[in-house]
Amino acid sequence: MTTLQLNVNGQNYSVNVNNPDMPLLWVLRDLIGLTGTKYGCGIEVCAACTVLIDGQPEHSCVYDASSAVGKKIVTIEGLSADSSHPAQQAWIANQVPQCGYCQSGMLMSVAGAMQAGHHGSEILSEVQNLCVCGTYQRIRQAVQYL
Amino acid sequence: MSATTLRPRPSKTASHKIGRRGFLATAGGFTLTFLVPDVTRLSEAEGATPGQVNAWLNIGTDESITLTIGSSEMGQGSFSGLAQILAEDLMVDYARIHAVQGGPTIASPAPVGTAINTVGSSVTRTNFWKMRDAGAIARETLVQAAMNQIGDQTRANYAVSNGVITHTPDGVTRTYGQVAADAALLTPPSTAPLVPDSQFRLIGTTVPRLDIPLKVNGSAKYGIDVRIDGMCYAVIKHCPSFGGTLAATPSKPSGMIAVVPTKVIAGTGRGSEATGNVNAVAVVGPNTWDTWQAARRLQVSWNLPASTSSLNNTQFLADAQALLASATPYVAGGANPAGTLYTVESIGAPNDAIAASAKTVDAVYSLPYVAHACMEVLNCTVNYVAGVSCEIWAPTQSSKAVLQLAMTITGLPASAIVVHTMYLGGGLGRKAEVDFVSEAIQVAMAVNRPVKLMWPREEDFTRDQYRPMAMIHARAGLDNSNNVTGWTYRNVSPSILGQRGVPLGAKGDSQGIEGAQSLPYNFGSRLTEWVSHPSPIPVGFWRSVGASINTFGVESMIDELAAAAGADPYQFRRALLTDPRWIAVLDAAANLGNWNSPPPSGRARGIAIGTAFNSIVAEVVEISQVTTSSLRVNRVSVAIDCYVSVNPGQIQAQMQGGVVHGLNAALYGRQNFVNGAAQAKNFNNSRMIRLQEMPQIDVAIIPSPAAASRTVNIGGAGELGVPTFAPALANAYFKLTGTRVRTLPFFPAATMSDL
Repeated sequence: MTTLQLNVNGQNYSVNVNNPDMPLLWVLRDLIGLTGTKYGCGIEVCAACTVLIDGQPEHSCVYDASSAVGKKIVTIEGLSADSSHPAQQAWIANQVPQCGYCQSGMLMSVAGAMQAGHHGSEILSEVQNLCVCGTYQRIRQAVQYL
Repeated sequence: MSATTLRPRPSKTASHKIGRRGFLATAGGFTLTFLVPDVTRLSEAEGATPGQVNAWLNIGTDESITLTIGSSEMGQGSFSGLAQILAEDLMVDYARIHAVQGGPTIASPAPVGTAINTVGSSVTRTNFWKMRDAGAIARETLVQAAMNQIGDQTRANYAVSNGVITHTPDGVTRTYGQVAADAALLTPPSTAPLVPDSQFRLIGTTVPRLDIPLKVNGSAKYGIDVRIDGMCYAVIKHCPSFGGTLAATPSKPSGMIAVVPTKVIAGTGRGSEATGNVNAVAVVGPNTWDTWQAARRLQVSWNLPASTSSLNNTQFLADAQALLASATPYVAGGANPAGTLYTVESIGAPNDAIAASAKTVDAVYSLPYVAHACMEVLNCTVNYVAGVSCEIWAPTQSSKAVLQLAMTITGLPASAIVVHTMYLGGGLGRKAEVDFVSEAIQVAMAVNRPVKLMWPREEDFTRDQYRPMAMIHARAGLDNSNNVTGWTYRNVSPSILGQRGVPLGAKGDSQGIEGAQSLPYNFGSRLTEWVSHPSPIPVGFWRSVGASINTFGVESMIDELAAAAGADPYQFRRALLTDPRWIAVLDAAANLGNWNSPPPSGRARGIAIGTAFNSIVAEVVEISQVTTSSLRVNRVSVAIDCYVSVNPGQIQAQMQGGVVHGLNAALYGRQNFVNGAAQAKNFNNSRMIRLQEMPQIDVAIIPSPAAASRTVNIGGAGELGVPTFAPALANAYFKLTGTRVRTLPFFPAATMSDL
């Protein structure tokens, strides 16, 4: 048993893991209880599990939790306190989600690109998240003015 | 948006009772609760309890308006659509309606009309009039209560606006909340006047969906997000080959709680998965990751029947080819085993007509098995208290089937079982099945503590109930004036209904032939046949079901006929049609897609039209950049006639989603089998498009009639974007390259790299 100190959405969590290579995704979902970050493929293809680590979009399904110690982790729950992040507002205004399952990861990828100073079409060229519902056209509209 | 939210059903409240006239009064007393649906059947609801009621409307003395709905929200937005319809005739703001997920009932017929199985693009189209009537009847009951309070019984002296009843002669008002308690004591009228279509405030307008705010901040709870105190985690590991069974129960790995063999429960297994077969083990442990790793490492030996070696693509195709050439006709009352030929329609003598025709077109089309691949993998959480209760949280399209299954497995009465329908991270037809629920219940009973069972992505891909493979032989003849003189169409495909124990009548599997029968084209004479393919690979309902298969066969063939006739594919279709609705849809898609203007250099367009779930859809697909391993879909122009359009923005979203679903399948979708084992195990070898590959998709909705009629079937939208995409793509590909693609997918070897 290993104890990891993680900083998630500005809060410190102390979690016990049997194996320090448990991916951050499962630490967030099962041990901390933040279920907004989603499991999709487990092999870093779909990006449903995207979170920000020190501002960088990372795929939490393959990111060892132990590697996140000492870093600032932001999940969809911490993107804003009140859904006021411009990407969240744009998602509501453009009625983007259908089933919504991929949208946490989608929004974190967009937020990461914005944090890197990117806008509009630059963001569109970077977001690789898979959406089976096919919400891409509304995503394109939503990202246009970010 | 307001604070209106969609949330799982709250715990049952006690002491509701149903009055003789079909309204409920809560124990607290002052609430009118109204059974939503089929008012003519309200007497059948007597004796039901609220937990068994699927949809009801509650108007509280606190001005709350709560609509409880039994069907599932999987991204199609029908919850919001029902609230929107209700608000119209209840004459309240849409934002005031609080839509709540309801539970299932075993009563049959269901006491209310709202679907408890969410399939067939049905929620809006089957509830439109029921919601309208419920809103109107509730409104008039509330107005009657206000009239009694105010003392003027002349209805014409009252006006209603956003839940406020005004006595117009003196301006005295009553809110719905103020009269709700009195209304609860009244007898609602059996009918009430509806808002005239010309005065619609809501129906036909785009309003925001109720669930979207929860889907941008991580707070929407999907099945996989359920967390129960004391819960443990189970990860399923099935036999890699369909038909295999457990040889010996493996011992429990270190650190794990249990290894539980699970068997196929009656009614949940399809094809090779016979009732009683132990086809999986569930490893139970302290968290998802450790349990999943233990499941991966677990060595399990399986017994494979000899027939497993024949479960491969080569055999499936050989069987299909043989049955295209020769199959034994259906015999009334006979055994009619797999391989039986069913005649669906037979008009005139098409074979003679084709033989005598000036030109003949003869083509065989082939479609593969395709997985559903919902973004949210299959999962289910169960809290079972031995002999006492069973509470189930599932992302399910079939809450009633979940309830029945739980009764069967646990032996508990319905009253001891609670089913929570959670948000679905995609349903696509896969979550209409309850195999995964049955496994979770079995595990919960074995470990006697709350458990969440998850299927890793690899299990989700390899243990699907797939869109059936199909092989189609179509023949048709043209006379010297390029009229179609005869049409024959034979589809060989495994039977979805047959695998569910539904006896097939003289016309075979109605799901299998959807989209190929009753075609409105003037064919002169026609013969439409369906043959049951013997493959036992489990098959199921995949967004748009048979229409996704047959529309490819039919509309590819029509295009081949147009080419043989030297005709424009749009005009050729138009000339074969007389139904004004079909012609209007075809024209709308052609106009939207600029059919009559030349496409940009290097591009070409294809067109297709079809029907499913009472709607008519046509698509124009524009493509470019064809290589041996890829192509670019630039633009898709969709026209839909669903008769009544409730929320145009939502119809647009569903068309876009349906096109992408059809596009992923047409370009890349296929599941291959080797010795009964599915080969594509994750998204890396079942490619789908990403954001950068998204075509521009425009949608034209044929306007609703000036006044909708109850006698005309309202059409669905959720699945309608899918069927016409593949043929329109193949038709564009032919136009651009001169090559006719008759076998899907276009690029079976495509993969998707990691990021």
